[in-house]
Amino acid sequence: MSKQTIISISREFGSMGHHIAGMIASDMGLKLYDRSILDEMAKEKNIKLEYLEKYDEKPKNVMLSRRVGRFSNSIEEVMAELQFEYLREKAKTGESFIVVGRCGETVFKDHEGLISIFVTGNFEDKVNHIMEYFKISRNEAISKINRHDKARKRYHNYHSDFKWGDSRYYDLCINSNKLELEETVKVLETYIKARMDRI
Amino acid sequence: MTIAQILAVLIFVAMFVLIVIDKIERHIVTLACGALTLVLVFGVAMKNMDAVINTLNVKGIFTTEFWYAAGESGESTSGINWATIIFIAGMMVMVEGMAKAGFFRWLCMKLAKMVNYKTIPLFIVFMIMSAVLAMFIDSITVILFLAAVTVELAKLLKFDPVPMILAEIFCANLGGSATMCGDPPNIIIGTSLGYSFADFITNTGVIAGVSLIFVIIYFYIVYRKELKVADGVDIDFSTIPTPKEAITSKKDFAISTVIFLSAIILLVTHASTHLTVAFIGAVIALVTLITAGKNALGLLKKVDYKTLLFFIGLFMVVGGLEQTGVLEVIAKFIGDVSGGNLFVMVAIILWVSAIASAFVDNIPFAATMIPVIQSLAATSGVDLDTLAWTLSMGTDIGGSATPIGASANVVGTSVSAKSGHPIGWGRYCKGAAPATIIVVTISMIMIFFRYC
Repeated sequence: MSKQTIISISREFGSMGHHIAGMIASDMGLKLYDRSILDEMAKEKNIKLEYLEKYDEKPKNVMLSRRVGRFSNSIEEVMAELQFEYLREKAKTGESFIVVGRCGETVFKDHEGLISIFVTGNFEDKVNHIMEYFKISRNEAISKINRHDKARKRYHNYHSDFKWGDSRYYDLCINSNKLELEETVKVLETYIKARMDRI
Repeated sequence: MTIAQILAVLIFVAMFVLIVIDKIERHIVTLACGALTLVLVFGVAMKNMDAVINTLNVKGIFTTEFWYAAGESGESTSGINWATIIFIAGMMVMVEGMAKAGFFRWLCMKLAKMVNYKTIPLFIVFMIMSAVLAMFIDSITVILFLAAVTVELAKLLKFDPVPMILAEIFCANLGGSATMCGDPPNIIIGTSLGYSFADFITNTGVIAGVSLIFVIIYFYIVYRKELKVADGVDIDFSTIPTPKEAITSKKDFAISTVIFLSAIILLVTHASTHLTVAFIGAVIALVTLITAGKNALGLLKKVDYKTLLFFIGLFMVVGGLEQTGVLEVIAKFIGDVSGGNLFVMVAIILWVSAIASAFVDNIPFAATMIPVIQSLAATSGVDLDTLAWTLSMGTDIGGSATPIGASANVVGTSVSAKSGHPIGWGRYCKGAAPATIIVVTISMIMIFFRYC
């Protein structure tokens, strides 16, 4: 692993994408950048953690926002840009890492070591997983999935040139429910290793 | 309504919607809509080449009056207002030169030192400085530097920078309303209707000056508790940067200061020297570039061409509304609603301009309203000057009410958020909306007493 590799994992809510990212990071000894970067950012940039959490991966309200050059009054947009900047700084150090969500495939689209993955799942399996994980009813789980996916889609589509989940723009799209979790991870790791050998 | 009028309105509405949606850069939106106006409205629907030539308005640049106006006549209001474009471009070059030399940061640090870094005096001094600087320099630049220094000082002096940034933004918009060159709507109004710097300062300037006193008192009452929180905290004054540290080059600093002062003198005296703002803008830019030497290209590259292109496209679209007579219909409507009563007319223009500017860009609004007030003055016999000052105050001040009303608001809130102090709509409007209502009310009362 001589050259820097950045693996971006985008995921549908309930698809276990985050869990899969964690397993790959652990197996391959890579750093994982997910929601946990907010703690680090809060300390480094002297920003209250509650602000970063409140606006994490949230789409901006188009009607209540305006841009002037590189400036925007939208807190969601400013917080997203701060995260992108933070990730770019991390990339500058030369370390290889996995980034979950946060438009990783867009932030690093020009990076030659980028491997972009999108994780989807069967609707029923996602609902069952969310019901179990959050101990909520089926209706609540469905509404939670819809709400989160809608927000992620809007967040992504604003910051990116292509649509969230459009298979043409990811290196690999995978349904996490077609194989056992460990098998899915194995397939992805095989692909990542093969790609790493060519980078 | 004719097909040309319908097309012109559709293009105008589409332009506004696309600017609000913000998916496509706004200069591309206005230029594309401007091109559509030329082709569809003037070409296909009107089959009128003269309308195209009037809207492009290029001929005027090659006349002596464009650069040296012996009379009081303004530029043709129809189409692209090249005087505005050239003046803004010139000031952009000058401001880049000043920023590079460290002028704005030096001024902020100097004033902070003068008040011994005491929070409340700093709050008041920065409000006044914001208003005064914005009289001559675009409010974006003023807020960009002031907000950045405020954040830096807030960190060192341990106070919340948000109240101070909000007050600075408001005062920048208020200061901009005082002069012809302070705010883009004023430059457009001034060059279109032939007003001088002195005309603005003795009319909108007086209103802005009186309003500033009330605004300072208002913000002091509203924010004094939030700013006093840090009292008693130990502060290490040795960590505060000195004004000298802000200057990147003594020579450049001296040159840019002289150019800035010369620009002010030229603007203040342009009614008597007959030099137009286009001439002043062009000369200031040239001198800045010549004195910059090898850095000239760097300064030129930093000029915000997108904003200039935005203006060009915008003027073409508004030209479409004007040439098709849509704006006369609006003027007639205002005339009918007010029944020819100047008090009602002033109130309508002032409050409608203020409310519209709070939510949409005040530049397209002002550009659209100028032919409307001209038509209104011509048909109802009311004084055009009164309507012009009313429009100016409405558009300039209304923009202060919300975070998206004016460019300075966007820049100020963005700088604040990036430094870890996000300002949402609630916090912004809680402070700025009442201040806006106070100033618009003061403006209305002063216009009523002085002109009606």
